[in-house]
Amino acid sequence: MIKKILLFVAGMTPACMTMAQVDSLSMDSVLLEQVQNQLAQNTPSPQAPARTSPSANPDISVIGDFRTTYQDNRNRHFDANLAETEFSFQSVIDPYAKADFFYSVSRDAESGEFKGEIEEGYLSTLSLPAHLQLKAGKFKQQLGRINPVHAHALPFIDMPNAYVRFFGVEGMNDEGLSLSWLLPNHTFFQELTVDVTDGPRESPVFIRSTKNKYLTLAHLKNFWDLTDNATLEFGLTGISGANVSEHTTNIGAVDLTYKWKPVRLNTYKSVTFQNEFYYSQSTFDSTKVNAVGLYSLLTWQIGKRWFLSGRYDYTNKPTSAQFVEQAVSATLGWYATEFQKIELQGKFTSVNEPDEENNFKKQFTQVLLRWIFVIGSHGAHQY
Amino acid sequence: MKNKKNIILIAFTLLMQNVFAGTIHVVTTTQDLKSIAELIGGNKVDVFGIATGYQNPHFVDPKPSYIIKLSGADLFVTVGLDLETGWSPSLLNSSRNPKIQKGSPGYVDASLGVALQQVPSSINRGEGDIHIYGNPHYWLDPLNGKQIARNICDGLERVDPADKAFFEANLKTFNETLDQKMKGWSAQMARFKGTKVIAYHNEWCYFENRFGLQIVDFLEPKPGIPPTPAQLVKIIGEVKSNGIKVIISSPYFTTSSSDVVAHQTGAKVLTLATSTGAFDTVRNYFDVFDYNINQLITVLK
Repeated sequence: MIKKILLFVAGMTPACMTMAQVDSLSMDSVLLEQVQNQLAQNTPSPQAPARTSPSANPDISVIGDFRTTYQDNRNRHFDANLAETEFSFQSVIDPYAKADFFYSVSRDAESGEFKGEIEEGYLSTLSLPAHLQLKAGKFKQQLGRINPVHAHALPFIDMPNAYVRFFGVEGMNDEGLSLSWLLPNHTFFQELTVDVTDGPRESPVFIRSTKNKYLTLAHLKNFWDLTDNATLEFGLTGISGANVSEHTTNIGAVDLTYKWKPVRLNTYKSVTFQNEFYYSQSTFDSTKVNAVGLYSLLTWQIGKRWFLSGRYDYTNKPTSAQFVEQAVSATLGWYATEFQKIELQGKFTSVNEPDEENNFKKQFTQVLLRWIFVIGSHGAHQY
Repeated sequence: MKNKKNIILIAFTLLMQNVFAGTIHVVTTTQDLKSIAELIGGNKVDVFGIATGYQNPHFVDPKPSYIIKLSGADLFVTVGLDLETGWSPSLLNSSRNPKIQKGSPGYVDASLGVALQQVPSSINRGEGDIHIYGNPHYWLDPLNGKQIARNICDGLERVDPADKAFFEANLKTFNETLDQKMKGWSAQMARFKGTKVIAYHNEWCYFENRFGLQIVDFLEPKPGIPPTPAQLVKIIGEVKSNGIKVIISSPYFTTSSSDVVAHQTGAKVLTLATSTGAFDTVRNYFDVFDYNINQLITVLK
C-alpha cells in the first residue's frame, strides 16, 4: 500500500512542479517585462517597449456615415444627412468573456431629430467546452449574410428590398441568448447557431408577443474552400415567432455566396457572387399568406481600391403575396484606405401596387452617395 | 486484482506527467513561423501555417476553414506587433479554444525579446498604415530568427514539458546552423555594404540593417498608399542621382509602378522573398536569405 502511495506521489510531483513552474515562469516573465519597461524609460533602449496597450480601456471607434440622396418621386429631390454615427466599445471582460457595445445615433426620418440607441450590446463567452460559444444581450442575429454585418461594411448603400420588406431596415436585431456550436466536422466548416429572443419591438412582421411566444432562430453555416482562391458558403436559416395578429410567422432563408480571391494578389482582385432567398409563411386572423423575396449581388473589384457592384432585388410583402417590388442597382466604391470609402449607387425601382410611401409612383430612380469614415480600432467583420 | 490496481495507478500517474501520446498541433500565422516551429519541434509537431508565403500578411482573409485548424490547436504562434490585427483576433475569437487565447500557455508571441525598429513616438494615421508597436517585419533579420525560435521553444515546453530536452537540442542545432549560414551571407554581402536601394513597401528595415543596405525611399508615398505619379517622379530623380541599381518589390505587389521607374532609369526590379514559401525554391526559413542574397548579389555586381 505504502509502495503505491509513494509511486503516486512520485508521479504527481513532477507534474505539479511543472504546472507550478509554468505559473511561476509566466509570473516571472511578466515581472521581467515590467522591470525591463522601467529600465527602458530611463535609458533609450529599444529592447522592451510596450507591445500591448497598457490600459484597461476598451477599443473605441467612431464610424461616420454621411449620405446625400437624389430621388425623383419626391417633392424635395435632394437630401443630405449624417445618416449614422456608430460608437463602438469592445474589450475582454475577464478570462470568461468579452463584451461588444455599439451605440448608434441616427436621424429619425419623420421627426428629423437625432436619436440614439444601443444597436448591439452583448457578452460572448471565451471558454465554454465542446466548441460552444454563448452570446447574451442585444445583438444582430445570424440570418443570412448581410444581417450580422453593420451596414457601413456592405458594398451597397441601401438594404435590399426583400430584406427591408421582411425584416426591416435594421433587420433581425433582438435581445436574448444565442448559442453557437462548431460542429466536429474536419472536412469543411459547419457552425450551428440557435437563438431564443424576446421578439423584436420594430419589425415588419414579427412582434414582441404579449403571450408566452418567443422568437426562435436557427442558422446552419456551411463553408468550403473550393480551391486556394475560391470559396463557397451555403447557409440555412429558420425563424419562427409571433406576428401582428398574435399568430405565427415562419420564415425560411437560404444564402449562397461564392468568392474568388487569388491569394497572391488578394488586395487587387476579387469577385463575390452573393444571394439570399426568403420564404415566409404567416397565419393571420382570417388569412394565410406565403410570400417570397430575394436579392442577387455581384461585386467585382476592378482595381486595387475600386469596387463595382450590381444588385437585383425582387420581393413580396410578408403580408401580401400580390405585392411585387423589383429593383436593379449599381454601386461604384472607392476604398481610399481601410478607414475611409466613398460609394455612389444608382437604383431603379418598380412596384405593381404604388402607395403613399412611393408618392404613388410605380417607378422611380434614386442616386445615393455615401461617405464612410472611421477613427479608432473597429474590429474586423466576418469573411 | 493487485496487478490491475497497479496498472491503473501507473497509467494515471503517467497521464499526470502530461505525456503527449500524440502530436502537438501547432498553428502559425506565417510560413516562417511554421518553418521554425518544424525545425524546433521535429517529429513531435504537426504545423499549419495560415498565410501563404506569397501573400500580404497584413491582409489575409479570415476564412472559416482556418477556424477548424485553430479549434484543434495546442499551440498558436503569431508574429505580433499588430501585423495580423486585421484578421487573427477574429479567428482566435471564433476558435472556441481556450488553450490558445492571448495569455494562455498555448499562445506564443514570437516578437517577445526582439529588438524593434521604427517604434513611433506618436501615432497618427495621417502618416499612413503605421504599426504602433514598431515595424513588425522583424523575421527578415536572420539573427532575430534565434529569438523567434526561443519563443517557440518556450511555447512547446509549456505545452509539452516532458520533451524539453528534445526541443532544447533542436534549438541548439537551429542556432548553430543559423550562425554558420550567417557567416556565409555576411561574406557574400560584405562588398555591397552601404549600397543604396529603393523598396516598394517599408518592410525591409531589419534586412537592410543586418546586411548593410541603405533604403533611400519607397514607392509608396506613405505606407499602404499606392504609388502616385508625383512619388514616381521623385523616385526616378533619386535613382538617377544616387546611381541606384535595384528596386525591391514583394510577391504580393504588382510591379507596374516599379517597372515605370526601371524603364526610365535602367534600375532592375527584384521581387524578393518576404517569407518562406514565397517561391517554390524557398522551402524553409534559411532559404529566404539564400534566395534574397543570391538575387541581390547577381544584380549588384
